[in-house]
Amino acid sequence: MISAMIKWMQRYEGWVGGGAAACLIVGLYLGLVASPPDYYQGEVVRIMYVHVPLAQTAMLAYSVLFGGSLWYLWKRDPVVDNMCHAAAGLSAFFTAGALITGSIWAKPTWNTWWTWDARLVSFAVMFLILAGYLMLRTFVDDPEREARYAAVLAIIGFADLPIVHFSVEWWRTLHQPLSISMRGVSMSGEILRPLIIMGIGFSAIFAYMLMVRTQMLYLRRLLIAKKGRLLSQAHLSTAGSGSPSGT
Amino acid sequence: MTRLYLRWSALAVVAVVIAFLASRYFDRHLASFTPEDVVSRQPVAAVRVIGSVKAGTLTGDAAAGHARFDLAGAQDTLPVQYDGPPPDNLRELKTLVVIGRWDPASAVFLAHDIALVTNYGFVVGAYLVGFIPLAFFLFGMERRVTLLYREIKESRLYEPEKSDDVDPR
Amino acid sequence: MPFFRVIRWVAWKDLVSEIRSRETISSMFFFALIVILVFSFSFSMDQEAARELIAGIIWVAFAFTGIIGLGKSFAAELQNDCLEHLQISPAPKGAVYLGKLAANLLFMLVVEVILFPMFVIFFNLDVVEELPLLLLIFALATLGLSTVGTLFSAMTVHIRAREVMLPILLLPLAVPVMIAAVEATRGALNGLPLSLYGNWLQLLAVFDVVFTVLSFWAFEWIIDS
Repeated sequence: MISAMIKWMQRYEGWVGGGAAACLIVGLYLGLVASPPDYYQGEVVRIMYVHVPLAQTAMLAYSVLFGGSLWYLWKRDPVVDNMCHAAAGLSAFFTAGALITGSIWAKPTWNTWWTWDARLVSFAVMFLILAGYLMLRTFVDDPEREARYAAVLAIIGFADLPIVHFSVEWWRTLHQPLSISMRGVSMSGEILRPLIIMGIGFSAIFAYMLMVRTQMLYLRRLLIAKKGRLLSQAHLSTAGSGSPSGT
Repeated sequence: MTRLYLRWSALAVVAVVIAFLASRYFDRHLASFTPEDVVSRQPVAAVRVIGSVKAGTLTGDAAAGHARFDLAGAQDTLPVQYDGPPPDNLRELKTLVVIGRWDPASAVFLAHDIALVTNYGFVVGAYLVGFIPLAFFLFGMERRVTLLYREIKESRLYEPEKSDDVDPR
Repeated sequence: MPFFRVIRWVAWKDLVSEIRSRETISSMFFFALIVILVFSFSFSMDQEAARELIAGIIWVAFAFTGIIGLGKSFAAELQNDCLEHLQISPAPKGAVYLGKLAANLLFMLVVEVILFPMFVIFFNLDVVEELPLLLLIFALATLGLSTVGTLFSAMTVHIRAREVMLPILLLPLAVPVMIAAVEATRGALNGLPLSLYGNWLQLLAVFDVVFTVLSFWAFEWIIDS
């Protein structure tokens, strides 16, 4: 009896994927071809159209992980647990992408590959929290306990993130009086439009990847359980024919 | 399975086509010559030349939009006559891109526009970093899912298990 | 079972077993000494540089020492099935958590109080006026590390690679505690007025409150089996 949520995903994933692709194509055209370069930064500002959506999607994925963890602790639905695992992997992926594109953006604008900017450091800490979450999931043997522990870790990590961001921001203003916000890009309609469209596109592609990845994890668990049952059956049948009951 | 491969090969083809078109556009409109190229190849069409303004050669009324300077490359220097809107980036020792036409008669480069050097490499790098891992990741996941569905269908997961087959005695 | 009595019992049990074996505090203490030694070899410091770096060195030493103590806290329960007995006992699980927290907090504070004079001696610090303030900073920051640390210690006790998972899980979450502790300690050691670094103490207090409550709630989910 396949789960209702999985069935829903199978039906709609095509639409979400197609919509995401369309959004991304439009966004890429607007961002790379149709929008003007920035006055100070020149063409390099176009990196914003890929860095900011990656960062936004990473935060979205993290929120999905948080919501899903709460949902799992409330309803104990194993498919929700699979979704949390998927969301964590995707969030780590998008966070890494945001960090790398942020670094690539930093080099031409500030002439340094890494800067202890509050947002970049918060993202780095977020990446480490997610890496810890994924490692925890790998190392726990019992699936039910794994789901429970992971859900608790996700909730605590999510609660910590605003505090991490504030503390790093205070720390930066202490040691570097300049405030770096949006890197001094003047926001006009022409710049905002591709940004919003790319943001929607990346969120949609995240939703699509979440659907695909949740199914992948769910099916993998299903097959492992099935193979486990087959193995135990085979073991029972051979054990029964081998030794008499008792010793 | 074939639908998956069809979808992704179509996407790959589209990506290659776009990359080809983009690179042709770049060569035609965005690539820059060096002063050595201009002096040696003497291009007829309008080109962009990248170099640094040689110290002590900047003359003319820049505020009115007329300036005369030498654009220095690695070895050669290109004399440039600029006539256009007042430039805000024109300073000695600054690396610039001048856009204009080479005049073989007077051996001077007639420029009508001045722009800053553009770092296209970073933009391209960032977009590749953003999209190529995404594509590989997504392709891998979709393939895995398709294989898993096939495996589940083959192993007939939802049929009742035959548990009373083997008689231990 | 009465709530506060359970807390006292659990803390008392840990304390007594520690007094008898003395293994946790002694291993923490010697580890911290080694850390101090390695740091003093790694940086060739004059007085100027020492003043800048010393707060960071102190808290790196305390953090890693604390992780050792936190790890042992639940690992000790694995022997003689004590962990299963804790799980099936009718005692309120939140009280068990608070008892464990109290014991861990006490051990870490003891080690810090023994170590800090050694820092003062080795690095020639001048601390007499700010001593109560420094103790306050130590208490707040140690509480911050212990709240989440005790919870994660209970979580990682069942896992493979237990000793490495605890720091991997704890340290990213404890980043605000580390930043605040280092900044506040540096302010206090350099004799700055409290108004300049008081916000860090507030941050520590907020962290402590939020995460004690969260860990108190979360412990039930962890310890149920």
